[in-house]
Amino acid sequence: MASHLEIELEKLKNVIVKINNLAENQVFEAVGILLSEPLSDKKQVKKTENKIDKLEVKIEDICQSIFALQQPVASDLRFIMSAMQISNEIERIGDLAMSMIKLNKNINSKYELVTKFNIEEIGREVEKIVIKTNVCFQNLDAEAIGEIYILNNSIKQKATAAVQNIIDDIKTNSKSIVSGMNLIMVLRNIERMGEHCTNIAESVYFMINAKVIKHEKHTDKNAEEE
Amino acid sequence: MDTIEKTEENIFFSSNNKKSDLKGTLIVGSTLASVILIIAVLFLIIGIIVYNGWQTFSWEFVSAFPTDGMTKGGIFPAIIGTFILVIVMSIAAVPFGTITAIYLTEYAKENSIFATAVRFSVRTLAVVPSIIFGLFGLGFFIQFIGSGMDTAFNAGELHWGQPNILWASLTMALLTLPVVIVSVEEALKTVPRELREASLALGATKWQTIKKVVLPGSVSGIMTGTILAVSRGAGEVAPILFTGAAYYLATLPKSVSDQFMNLGYHIYIMSTQSSDVEKTMPIQFATTLVLLILTISLNVIAVIIRSRIRSKKL
Amino acid sequence: MKDIKIEVKDLSLYYGEKKALNDISMLIPSNKVTALIGPSGCGKSTFLRSINRMNDLIPSVKITGQMLVEGVDIYDKNVDVVNIRKKIGMVFQKSNPFPKSIYENIAYGPKINGMKNKTDLDEIVETSLRQAAIWEEVKDRLFDSAMGLSGGQQQRLCIARTLAVSPDIVLMDEPASALDPISTSKIEELVHELKEQYTIIIVTHNMQQAARTSDFTAFFYLGELIEIDKTKTIFTKPSKKQTEDYITGRFG
Repeated sequence: MASHLEIELEKLKNVIVKINNLAENQVFEAVGILLSEPLSDKKQVKKTENKIDKLEVKIEDICQSIFALQQPVASDLRFIMSAMQISNEIERIGDLAMSMIKLNKNINSKYELVTKFNIEEIGREVEKIVIKTNVCFQNLDAEAIGEIYILNNSIKQKATAAVQNIIDDIKTNSKSIVSGMNLIMVLRNIERMGEHCTNIAESVYFMINAKVIKHEKHTDKNAEEE
Repeated sequence: MDTIEKTEENIFFSSNNKKSDLKGTLIVGSTLASVILIIAVLFLIIGIIVYNGWQTFSWEFVSAFPTDGMTKGGIFPAIIGTFILVIVMSIAAVPFGTITAIYLTEYAKENSIFATAVRFSVRTLAVVPSIIFGLFGLGFFIQFIGSGMDTAFNAGELHWGQPNILWASLTMALLTLPVVIVSVEEALKTVPRELREASLALGATKWQTIKKVVLPGSVSGIMTGTILAVSRGAGEVAPILFTGAAYYLATLPKSVSDQFMNLGYHIYIMSTQSSDVEKTMPIQFATTLVLLILTISLNVIAVIIRSRIRSKKL
Repeated sequence: MKDIKIEVKDLSLYYGEKKALNDISMLIPSNKVTALIGPSGCGKSTFLRSINRMNDLIPSVKITGQMLVEGVDIYDKNVDVVNIRKKIGMVFQKSNPFPKSIYENIAYGPKINGMKNKTDLDEIVETSLRQAAIWEEVKDRLFDSAMGLSGGQQQRLCIARTLAVSPDIVLMDEPASALDPISTSKIEELVHELKEQYTIIIVTHNMQQAARTSDFTAFFYLGELIEIDKTKTIFTKPSKKQTEDYITGRFG
């Protein structure tokens, strides 16, 4: 029969999966709005945001409880340390998604801009990276870590290119400055989402291999993973 | 591989310890020598008895009555008498002694004056010379209680107011009571306090705890105490001198109000007061041999019972 | 007040002139594990033994105040202490099985209470041994001596023996302190399972054990109750500085 500690760890894992799923949904909503897909209930989005915040607090509480009462060691210890970091990152992703949704209001004639600068591709990629990150954590999938890095690099490249294009466009067509600026901010948000996903991947790596790979050059990491 | 250099500095090789070791060896050695001496003397005594008594020792000797003024025949009645004495004595001493010991170890409060008085009495009783028990038996059991019983039940006719098995056994019981009490006390004390606590914590009363945990755990001690007491009872003579032992009886005793013959008493009378001491010499040795065999067997049985009970527990 | 099993009101205990417990007041909840922690000599074991009146065995002990178990003061003159101990069982620090067979050890309590029927006894023995998570290990040697079991097994046997009389409350005085880590964790798991049926109060000098196993924790120091609260609170944000100092290892 499962020990007290195992029950608590299982509980923790379930909550993280929950918050992951909620954040995932927020990202889908945000990308959907960006690409002019029909918007689901705005109230629902706000509700989800609140839920995410609450869950983050709950995760911290559970972690504190386990630390104080169960003296976890080895892989359990790494799991809980990672759990705290991951929930933090997830919460930021949720925030970024909300921010994206708000920025959308100020992007006029979106459709043209979006198609002009190939935003859809970036949007799909960020959806992908978020899904992959979720899976990576749930299955402790080491291979997925490498794929997440690759996706992140791709997102960065594409976003940087798109931003440059938008800036050039603004220079020639000053009327589009408001929409353009907001779109640039949206793209920045997307980039940061990608970064948060790689952070989560690093935490998963720590869980698996007990090695901290933060702040190391990510390109090197790719080579190691493959 | 290099061997360790035997230098003066290497403490492994220092010889300071040998000096104190020598002292220890001397002490142990002299103790050993004394023990060997004692055992040698013991074997000497036993040897003399066996050597001299063996010739007269036979089945007939053990089963026949004495004849010709104790110069021939057997000592059967003395053996029976000794047995009866010991049995009645045990019936009197063991239960009473056990209960007293239980009171002293389990029920007596630490500062109880009564318990202190009881303990003091027991210790004192243990060192009273056995002849005094004999005199007490005569004065109290025979002349006071016995006569009183005759006055009350037999209209003055002399029946209980004279020496017999009952009074002799009770007198002997008084003598061996301290032995029983102390042995049982010691046995009860060996039962660890934790077991008593465990029983009480399960909702048992004090008496239930004693009955089911303490007594079973101290049975070997109780047995030992009993057998030691019996052993003493078989050998002591002074208490029964005036209270019931006789030199010669034609028949075996039929009830506790009869007199009886006794091995120890028999040897005493034969060697000091018989009509022809020289002629009874072989019988004296043989009787001594029988008494010795009896006593040793009892002690051996005690040891065996104790070790069997111990091994059952483990 | 079904949630509270024991209410302690201003309980003080004296060994002769010396005051060992000073005006203890606390509430002990039902069907939970309450741990008593504190440095050596702080009175936690003395307090525990007051609950089933084992301190009565020490002649110089005097108790003032009240110990209400389900509303009844167990120190009341009219209360039969033997009956209290049938309702409040105790497991000791050093396991103390009787030198009898395993079966006889467990059956001891029920037999004392008058149970004679062999089938009933068999059933209680099996149930108790199962509850103590030791049935599988001993079911084929019920009539072997209990002294042949290992330390951890003996302690679980003692727990089974205590459960056999169906108490409401089980007191444990450092039950795992003499055991190896694996036996200790088995006992801890057992405590966790048992609380569904029993109210458990456990004294431990091992804080981590208290943290792992209990729902409520009471901190004792020099005969006084310093703080009692949910275990999680005690170990994350205790209210008294003394508690914090003890838990963080700054003293004691």
